[in-house]
Amino acid sequence: MMTLVAKRLLQAALMIWSIGTLSYVLMRLLPGDMAFRIAAGRYGYDNVNLAASEAVRAELGLDRPAWQQYLAWLADLVRFDLGDSLVSGLPVAHEVSHLVLHTLQLAVAAFACAVLLALPVGLFAAFRAGGWFDRCSLVASAFLRAQPVFVIGLALVLLFSLHLKLFPVAGFNGSKYLVLPAVSLALVMAAVSSRVIRHSAVGVIRSAFFDFSRVKGLSFAQSFWRHGVRNAALPVVAFLGIQFAGAIEGIVMIESLFSWPGVGHGLAHAVFNRDVPMIQAAAMALGLIFVGLNLLVDIACYLIDPRERTEP
Amino acid sequence: MSVLLQVEALSVSANDVTLLEPLSLSLKTGEALTILGETGAGKSLLVQAIMGLLPSPLQARGRVLLDGQDIGRLKPALRARLWGRQLAMLPQEPWHALDPLMPAEQQVAEVYRYVGGLSAPDALERSRQDLAGVGLAGAAERLPGHLSGGMAQRLAFCAATAGGAPIVLADEPTKGLDASRRDQVAALLRRARERGAVLTVTHNIEVARQLGGHILVMRDGRLVEQGEAEELLARPKDGYTRALIGADPQHWPDITPTDGAAREPVLTVRGLHKSRGGRLLFEGLHMTVGRGEIIGISGDSGCGKSSLGDILLGLLPADGGEIRRAPQIARHRYLKLYQDPPAAFAPGIPLGRLFDDLIGLHRLDRRRLAPLLQRLRLDPGLLQRTSVAVSGGELQRLAIARALLLEPLLLFADEPVSRLDPITAREVIALLVQSATEQDCAVLLVSHDLELLRKTCHHVVSLGGRA
Repeated sequence: MMTLVAKRLLQAALMIWSIGTLSYVLMRLLPGDMAFRIAAGRYGYDNVNLAASEAVRAELGLDRPAWQQYLAWLADLVRFDLGDSLVSGLPVAHEVSHLVLHTLQLAVAAFACAVLLALPVGLFAAFRAGGWFDRCSLVASAFLRAQPVFVIGLALVLLFSLHLKLFPVAGFNGSKYLVLPAVSLALVMAAVSSRVIRHSAVGVIRSAFFDFSRVKGLSFAQSFWRHGVRNAALPVVAFLGIQFAGAIEGIVMIESLFSWPGVGHGLAHAVFNRDVPMIQAAAMALGLIFVGLNLLVDIACYLIDPRERTEP
Repeated sequence: MSVLLQVEALSVSANDVTLLEPLSLSLKTGEALTILGETGAGKSLLVQAIMGLLPSPLQARGRVLLDGQDIGRLKPALRARLWGRQLAMLPQEPWHALDPLMPAEQQVAEVYRYVGGLSAPDALERSRQDLAGVGLAGAAERLPGHLSGGMAQRLAFCAATAGGAPIVLADEPTKGLDASRRDQVAALLRRARERGAVLTVTHNIEVARQLGGHILVMRDGRLVEQGEAEELLARPKDGYTRALIGADPQHWPDITPTDGAAREPVLTVRGLHKSRGGRLLFEGLHMTVGRGEIIGISGDSGCGKSSLGDILLGLLPADGGEIRRAPQIARHRYLKLYQDPPAAFAPGIPLGRLFDDLIGLHRLDRRRLAPLLQRLRLDPGLLQRTSVAVSGGELQRLAIARALLLEPLLLFADEPVSRLDPITAREVIALLVQSATEQDCAVLLVSHDLELLRKTCHHVVSLGGRA
């Protein structure tokens, strides 16, 4: 168990360094003058001139050689100082932690919706494998999965905001604003995970140990509860972890679509403004969520599967 | 004696193809009935039909009477109510039938709790008593993956019978078990007989003898002969029954090739050890295999026999120890013969093409193929077919031919006949040993059947032994 956590911590450290470095290099490779872009981000494109951009360059030390700037960033990182935003001048850690909270809020809501949707659909399809419900849910899941997440988001906006006027179009002001972005993400997640749940449950129901449990005299429900759930949960948990991580890419899009003040949204803006510390911090935050999820999945599998615990 | 179970003209068919000819039998209190026959003789179907567990395209006809009631007409849900309470079934593959994530004692306790209606602590107490009664007290908290094949079967027996059903149906309950563990299972079945009645399906003559009672001999879904165990086994009337009895390794003549002079070693193993899944498979293993030597490797299923083979052939790393092969010999001359012949051939491709590819790849002499096939009593016409269109015995002999074509120095034969019926198995083993000896090829013959190894090998190495 401890080796599991230690391994993930090491992974997190490596990930922070590599993501930071990579985003730094990538930003350097982008065309356009950085100082000019940053000045534009601060004062607006209409108010920027050569003097303003030179002032920014001098202030941020952008005229130093690239490797010096990189080493300075690395030295700050070791002291857990992520630096200040080049645009707003506020500490990046503060800004990003705000964004992360919003993103997590959205992600957890979407995840919960997805599980609430996928679990009954997947299990019902499994109990009547090959029946009409199973086949319909397959078609629906293939159709949903084939759509980019923003198309689903747009469709929901058209239907529920513009037509039915049930929910706000975009923005962030109370729980009502959470519904549409969370449901858009949840639909995409549930599309695949309901099939994984269905498949896993069918595998267990058809297994020899499930048959034997019935033959011992236990009812279907007892057998499924005692033997089905745990055995079926292993692949499902592992998959949900991967899927949740995959949903992070979807979050960037959904946040932009619904103007949700999360990491993805912040990341997109930081890229436009060449706000390197913000980009690095936002990317790291996403990466850390990724590693954290993997750790949670590992721990969940460890708790579900007693076989893991007896390994040396 | 009251009749517990009466089967009248029960037949099984799939899409109008009859797999089990109409069969009638009756099972009285205190009786043991054994159905003897080779694999594929429809024996398992009979048990499944009685239970109501036939997979979907299969259909049963005829009547199954339990206490005078035709249970074949019951709705599936009502029929399932009989399971564990009236009818118990012992699984064929206990490992697969046990929940891999649940400790042994729980798998028995849940039956006492949910079928017997005991409280959780009482159910656990009864479960522990049962497990202690079959010598599993020390393994009560283990997971099935950490039990040997024999232990798993004893656990499955406790779980299957905890519901208190008077009738126990056992489908090949000793498959893959060595002699001592086979006898333990037979003893359990005799015990179940005292509490009700036992119907056992097996191809093992020794199990049939130990259970006593009545025997039905079946072949190709038909009843060949029946009688009381002692009489039938001592004086079989039908030719098929005689062949079946003769195919039991204890009736084999000793076919061990004569031991030649000092042999040069093709494989030397020193202090080999290996663990898998947190379990020590073997340690301090020493072995020298000389040219053309036939060495038996015995042990329960799951004791690491297959892992040993993979290590010796360099397919799996050992945890420690030394393996030395004869110097300057190509790797493909250390070969493996697989347990399940259909899994060892690419399906859908004519066998002849598979042989051609092999001959082309290693630039072999094509003229050697014909005599080799003849030696293994194989019709060259079989090469026109694909692997699914030949029988298991023929396919395993083709696999032997394919291996011997490469002039191997060592052949690791991993339970090569365990999937074959006993009559075919005897023939295949004899041909394997003879033709390998003629080519001066050493064979490591793996089997759970110690008797078989004693009759065929120069000497036998026992693996595991930890019950």
